[in-house]
Amino acid sequence: MADISTDKMEVNLEEEQVISPWKEAWRTFRKNKLALVGGGIVTFFILLAIIGPFVVPEGIDDQKLTEARLQPPSAEYWFGTDDFGRDIFSRVVHGARISLSVGFFSVMGSIIVGSFLGILAGYYRGIVDGVISRIFDIMLAFPSILLAIGIVAVLGPSLQNALIAIAIINIPTFGRLIRSKVLSVKEEEFILAAKSIGMKDTRILFHHILPNSMPPIIVQGTLAIATAIIEAAALGFLGLGARSPKPEWGRMLADSQAYFINAPWMMIFPGLAIILTVLGFNLLGDGLRDALDPKMKT
Amino acid sequence: MKRGKRKWLFFLLFLFLSFALVACSGNNEKAGGNSDDGKDEVKDTPKELVFGRGGDSTSLDPGATTEGEAFKVTVNIFENLINFGEQNTELEPGLAVDWNVSDDGLVYTFQLREGVKFHDGTDFNAEAVVVNFERWKNGNAGTSGDQTPFPYYQSMFGDNIEKVEATGEYEVQFTLKHPQAVFLKNIAMSPFAITSPAALEKYGDKINENPVGTGPYKFVEWQRNDRIVIEKFDDYWDSEYPKIDKIIFRSIPDNSARLNALKTGDVDLIDGINYSDVAAIEADSNLQIFTRPSMNVGYLGLTTTRGPLQNKLVRQALNHAVDKEAIIAAFYEGYAEPAKNPMPPVISGYNDDIEDYPYDLERAKELLAEAGYPDGFEMELWAMPVPRPYMPDGQKVAQAIANTFEQIGVKVEIVSYEWGTYLEKTAAGEADAFMLGWTGDNGDADNFLYTLLDKDNIGTNNYTYYSNDELHEILVQAQRVSDEEQRVELYKKAQEIIKEDAPWIPLVHSQPLLAGRADIKNFLPHPTGSDRLHKVEFGN
Repeated sequence: MADISTDKMEVNLEEEQVISPWKEAWRTFRKNKLALVGGGIVTFFILLAIIGPFVVPEGIDDQKLTEARLQPPSAEYWFGTDDFGRDIFSRVVHGARISLSVGFFSVMGSIIVGSFLGILAGYYRGIVDGVISRIFDIMLAFPSILLAIGIVAVLGPSLQNALIAIAIINIPTFGRLIRSKVLSVKEEEFILAAKSIGMKDTRILFHHILPNSMPPIIVQGTLAIATAIIEAAALGFLGLGARSPKPEWGRMLADSQAYFINAPWMMIFPGLAIILTVLGFNLLGDGLRDALDPKMKT
Repeated sequence: MKRGKRKWLFFLLFLFLSFALVACSGNNEKAGGNSDDGKDEVKDTPKELVFGRGGDSTSLDPGATTEGEAFKVTVNIFENLINFGEQNTELEPGLAVDWNVSDDGLVYTFQLREGVKFHDGTDFNAEAVVVNFERWKNGNAGTSGDQTPFPYYQSMFGDNIEKVEATGEYEVQFTLKHPQAVFLKNIAMSPFAITSPAALEKYGDKINENPVGTGPYKFVEWQRNDRIVIEKFDDYWDSEYPKIDKIIFRSIPDNSARLNALKTGDVDLIDGINYSDVAAIEADSNLQIFTRPSMNVGYLGLTTTRGPLQNKLVRQALNHAVDKEAIIAAFYEGYAEPAKNPMPPVISGYNDDIEDYPYDLERAKELLAEAGYPDGFEMELWAMPVPRPYMPDGQKVAQAIANTFEQIGVKVEIVSYEWGTYLEKTAAGEADAFMLGWTGDNGDADNFLYTLLDKDNIGTNNYTYYSNDELHEILVQAQRVSDEEQRVELYKKAQEIIKEDAPWIPLVHSQPLLAGRADIKNFLPHPTGSDRLHKVEFGN
């Protein structure tokens, strides 16, 4: 009996030496079909945002008022044209760059500020924690889109301010996440060890605690990009984000309202673009969670 | 369930739910409307009319404004000494039953209607007329150009009315400094309606929220940016009218939303139809289209005191850079004609020999270079936030104009403000280029050329701050001569000067359309845009 159990342990040890946590995550992720689809969609839109604008037939504001107004989808205009005679396909592709960058940069902003505040709160506790956590509580008490509208109303409607507003409303989510992670990691033995050999706080925070908090941030970040894209579109739709003629998808939806009976393609394609990207990021985020979150592992 | 997925599901669910709710609310409204009808004594004759329009009134004191949405309500609360015809600007008796002019054209005498009461129960008489005109005249005395309390009085009469006297209980006499050819037409304009002197005293500064006139309807309430309610005045002097008991003016800024409200029965009558919706309305047997006789101009003003726009060549260049035909094809569906003059062709004195600046971007660039701006410049382009009769969608037309301006190197930032603020700021000369328009209020060339472009009206209705002494001489002369042919010649000359100086880019003369329930009868849209609704009724 004793022999057999030793054997097992040896086998386990060998496997753990070969497979790093990241590799194992990739294995789990690869088995998840939905996650792969999500990843595919996201990759597709990222490529679209990077190279799309160089290959589409038209710019963002090539008006053809008399020649090509409200044309239905055709070989020439794949997604039809809008009320200014602009090619909707070209505009949707240009819009990918706007929506993805708003999603990405606003979430990056939230992560940076949120992590910083979360680490402070979690590591130092006491009054710092009290102040930061209460601020988070207050911010979370507002419905997020309402808070975003309020912030844009103060800053003035523009794409840049919409981005800032979305970044701000997502800060507490990341802040809390990091704080709780810091609280648990802080008590780990390797941190105690680091402290006992006289390591500085900053080094402990940024070389040990932060890297150990990365997986949940990546998961939450991916999901937050999806929300951020919807929020940017909502602000654009309300006239508080990008302004015409910027081909922001929400703005395009708002512009299509007057024509939704006569020219439904004006609404369908930007709408589909929003749905697909958001779906992509959500599927990807779920897949990443399954792969990275140790608590989900069996 | 995982959080991300749940969020996504919520979004979908929310979408479906909102669609379902929209569908339900539509049905409920219809059902509600029908049951209301049943309660009335006579079946199918609801006595309440809901008028959906694009913007709220700026004031309920007609003398204090020049703005069309305000007059739309006040013409039903107040009356003038003289009325316009049902669908023209011929003169008809109003509060005055008769009038005559002295041979030198300086003294006008009005015989007033007897037995007319204000809504507060006081009597209408000659003294009331005197009080109103003195209020406008004295209110403007000593004020500077950009802060007149009664801007339209300032524009139309200036200090020309020497005195107004009650020469009898029901006789009033106006003495002028100079003959004024359009005096009677001016008297008939919506802003010069008679308010109860007792109410003026009672409400003071608050009179703009408490209108008291002699009209067929009395004021009930005003919820800003939402609704104005007026109801039948029982002691109206013409006991046959009004036909409908209550009228509610609702502000619904979005054209599509307003049309939807009409379709669901929330409102009965709407103005500001998207021209693209006309076919669908005509196909609906529950609805009908009304055509307002056209008497308007939509324009892009180029404030002549700001930056590069001070240069005439720049203004001409911009005139070359607007493709009016394309704008009309795209945003008016053909329900407009391109404008080359600041007044519409239906008005006497229109100069059809004027040649418009053709749409020619090369020529525009040449002119810009000649003016010293070969690489263009940057400016703001102001677009109105609300649909107007002459401009169904200011934001979109602004985008189209911005697009061609940018092709000649003029970089444009489109700017918009809430409607009241927009008018204030443009009147104060704070806009570079701005979209506005004008619907004639008395059917005379004077009400376009002098009101909008004479230097006397800088700060009131001359938003471009355009000032030309030669033009001023001509316009003042045209006011004072009574010979129609001579006036026509003067106005034709005036249009040549204006064309050359190019303070505006005249854009369109539009065909304003309204739509309403199919059973609305006797609704006759007036060319001035101010519709008197006392004859309107429901029937089959």
